[in-house]
Amino acid sequence: MFKSLLFFGAGAVINATGERDMEKLGGLIHRMPCTSFAFLIGCVAISALPPLNGFVSEWLTFQAILQSPELPQWGLKIIVPAVGGLLALSAALAAACFVRAFGITFLGRARSDAAGQAREVDRFSLTAMFVLAALCLVAGILPGFVIDALAPVTQAFVGESLPSQAHLPWLTIAPIAEARSSYNGLLVFLFIAVTGWGAAFIVHNLASRRVRRSAAWDCGFPDPQPQTQYSASSFAQPVRRVFGSLVFRARETVDMPPPGDLRAARLTVEVRDLAWDWIYTPISGGIAFAAIRLNRLQFLTIRQYLSLVFLALVSLLLVLALWT
Amino acid sequence: MDLIRALLIQGLQMAVVLLLAPLLTGFVRKVKARLTRRQGASVIQPYRDLIRLLRKEAVLADNASWLFRVVPYLVFASTWVAAALVPTFGGGLLFSWTADLIAIIALLGFGRFFLALAGMDIGTSFGGIGSSREMMIASLAEPAMLLTVFSLALVAGSTQLSTVAALMSSPEVGLRVSLGMALVALIMVAIAENARIPVDNPATHLELTMVHEAMVLEYSGRHLAMIEFASSLKLVLYLSLIGCIFIPWGIAAPGAGLADYLIGAVGYVAKIGVGAVLLAVFETSIAKMRVFRVPDFLGAALMLGLLGTLLLFVSRSL
Repeated sequence: MFKSLLFFGAGAVINATGERDMEKLGGLIHRMPCTSFAFLIGCVAISALPPLNGFVSEWLTFQAILQSPELPQWGLKIIVPAVGGLLALSAALAAACFVRAFGITFLGRARSDAAGQAREVDRFSLTAMFVLAALCLVAGILPGFVIDALAPVTQAFVGESLPSQAHLPWLTIAPIAEARSSYNGLLVFLFIAVTGWGAAFIVHNLASRRVRRSAAWDCGFPDPQPQTQYSASSFAQPVRRVFGSLVFRARETVDMPPPGDLRAARLTVEVRDLAWDWIYTPISGGIAFAAIRLNRLQFLTIRQYLSLVFLALVSLLLVLALWT
Repeated sequence: MDLIRALLIQGLQMAVVLLLAPLLTGFVRKVKARLTRRQGASVIQPYRDLIRLLRKEAVLADNASWLFRVVPYLVFASTWVAAALVPTFGGGLLFSWTADLIAIIALLGFGRFFLALAGMDIGTSFGGIGSSREMMIASLAEPAMLLTVFSLALVAGSTQLSTVAALMSSPEVGLRVSLGMALVALIMVAIAENARIPVDNPATHLELTMVHEAMVLEYSGRHLAMIEFASSLKLVLYLSLIGCIFIPWGIAAPGAGLADYLIGAVGYVAKIGVGAVLLAVFETSIAKMRVFRVPDFLGAALMLGLLGTLLLFVSRSL
């Protein structure tokens, strides 16, 4: 649900600005308030934050991991906590990734004219996004019904399903027993809404509600050029340095001109995907090697071709005979 | 009758964490000042600061959006809800089944997510640097915290905080290697999450050393007050969490008498008082790390958490 929502949002942004590069967007929250709200809901959901649906599925996965010491297989016993750790890591990295996606695209100041003159998308796209956003919220605060509705599917696949959840008091979900673990999305949502709104109400009525608009502070040195904002790649730099140097062999090289030289300094970032290097490159290399060797087959005489076809037929029939 | 009592205790708990939070911050600052042979501001100074900020007008940058104005209340609300679900003086809170430990961590993540977004809203380089570094720290601290929770949950057989605390105070748990690792990992995460000294400096305004402060640089008036309040609530939350899991003695059992609750309250104040003094001593005795040393620090916490969990998976008695 949140993935389709985010794709719709991305489509709306491309439609409105004609720009795919995040580094040239920014400030869209002022020009497209409805799209940005729906996109924000999608970002919160995909980062597995309560009270939306992404968190419920993450929570259920963690509960399943906590059940696994009772598994009899030793291999699984060792792997499962590592998987749990990786899952936690990926959830946290997803949050960082979507702060970057939303922050660079929708917040800040416009980095190009296209972004500065964007228009809100049409009503149909907005409706589609808002329906999905509402579904994310409903599945997040009333997860019991969703689990019950999915029960036949899990029953068909693994032959087991969670006990019925919808009848539990206050629409809580408790996969095993309430004393072990339970989560109530509805109450969490209500608590946040009530305390947040209450705090705003009290502060506005008892303390101060005045607002003054002024230039940004920025420690006293604001620069009016939108290029001085944090860009998408500068936002990712700390994460790239921490994780990227290991996983992606990220290398940063700074080419600094000598003093007195007026040439601009250059920062090059090289990122290699290890999956590409270790899985795809050998496969494509093997195919290329085989193709070059088999290339010779293209220049045979007709007699040789005919005998080749005959040999292939005989060998195929042999294989078939041996197989059955 | 039982329901009313439970509701009363839950309400009292929410009020206690709210009222105690600025006092704790003031106390840590006072101890730190005394340790460096300064007089220091009064312990109630944070209350005065909060009131002063609340009464001032809020100055917004020209291009601040609605998100910028909503975030302080969201951060405050999520932190307060999370803090109210950690048992302080009495166990068996009425709403403790609403959200377990994993949900409490996720609630804190919710606040951080929005605060990082708000840091990027104005489009200044300071806000961006703060948000970016905060998310980098969080991307290591959150898994470390979750792995700690895993080892606790495996020992206690539950992720419910009240149940965990009740089990920890029973004699059958005893000393365990994995719990020791979990404690160390939890303390390291708590230091990072609360932006305390080796990771971040809560008192600085020097560009290169600040993470959290850079993110909230554009806030003023009542919005800043809400954010400051939320960060002192977070400190209370982590100290209470460590207290209720690792030194759970004195927490009143559900349905206990008034005397038990009084003992629980005194014990709680003593626990977080000791915690605050230890924090201040630790902070004065250590220098701040470079930003790119922080991943090493948190990576150690992550590994400790993973090791503790692995030990529990392999053996039931360690």
